[in-house]
Amino acid sequence: MPDRAECEAVVRQLWPFIDGVVSETQREFIVDHLEQCEPCNSHFDFARAFLEAVHEARPHFHVGQGLNERVMAALAGAGYRA
Amino acid sequence: MPSSSTDDSPRSDRDSAFTATALPHLSTIARVATALTGDAADTEDLVQETFLRAYRHWHTFQPGSDCKSWLATICRHTFAELRRRENRSVAVDDQELESLAAARVHSTARAKGVDDMFARLDLGPAIAKAIRALEPHYRDVVLLVDVDGFSYEEVASSLEIPVGTVRSRLYRARRHLQEALLDFAIDAGYASPSYTLPPNHPGERRNA
Ligand SMILES: [Zn+2]
Repeated sequence: MPDRAECEAVVRQLWPFIDGVVSETQREFIVDHLEQCEPCNSHFDFARAFLEAVHEARPHFHVGQGLNERVMAALAGAGYRA
Repeated sequence: MPSSSTDDSPRSDRDSAFTATALPHLSTIARVATALTGDAADTEDLVQETFLRAYRHWHTFQPGSDCKSWLATICRHTFAELRRRENRSVAVDDQELESLAAARVHSTARAKGVDDMFARLDLGPAIAKAIRALEPHYRDVVLLVDVDGFSYEEVASSLEIPVGTVRSRLYRARRHLQEALLDFAIDAGYASPSYTLPPNHPGERRNA
């Protein structure tokens, strides 16, 4: 089991790692750690599940019909034909 | 420290001019630095750095012009630069703290028995509500990155903010959302450390 200091270093990079913006060296280090450390791995899984849920909430953010119509009307005024 | 072994004539001229013209303003520059930093330790760092730079760039000083003003300008620029650098490191540290916070939210969720809430509950409406409740700065970034899938860079250029700011806002927003969802799951009565979810009932709702 890796030591606490290593766990903390790994968890500090949780969001950048999940977003894929860490360096290759960091990435390998974190991947290795997560394979051996279930507590850290579970933190990362929880964060991924969270992000997935947020992404899946997308249908709740469709622009209002009003705005849609306004834009289409403006486009039509500019010569746009659907 | 100038090394005595390489002392040649131009070097000596420069040193003696610096000694006669720049160093007498040390106290004045220290007061300028104090006014800028408001902190004794930072003042000393700033004064030191100011005189180091003045020494290195002594050739740019116009002999006969106001050396005190020249030094004060260097001092202000140095201060601005150090502060920018400091803000950057604070921002990075801040982002790492948000990552640690995400792990803490998970630990709390586990302690409350809701660490499987994303699999168990349909949180869509609660997520939408929590995102709408965020301050606009946070809301816009989390919508663009996490809901719509834009990259940090794309969001940075469309909102005309630095990438570091996108990240800071994004991670902060995620933390607010996680905390809001955790509260939601607990308030809705799903929390119960002793309650074990029957298998194969992912959407089950149960009120305490
Ligand atoms: Zn670990």
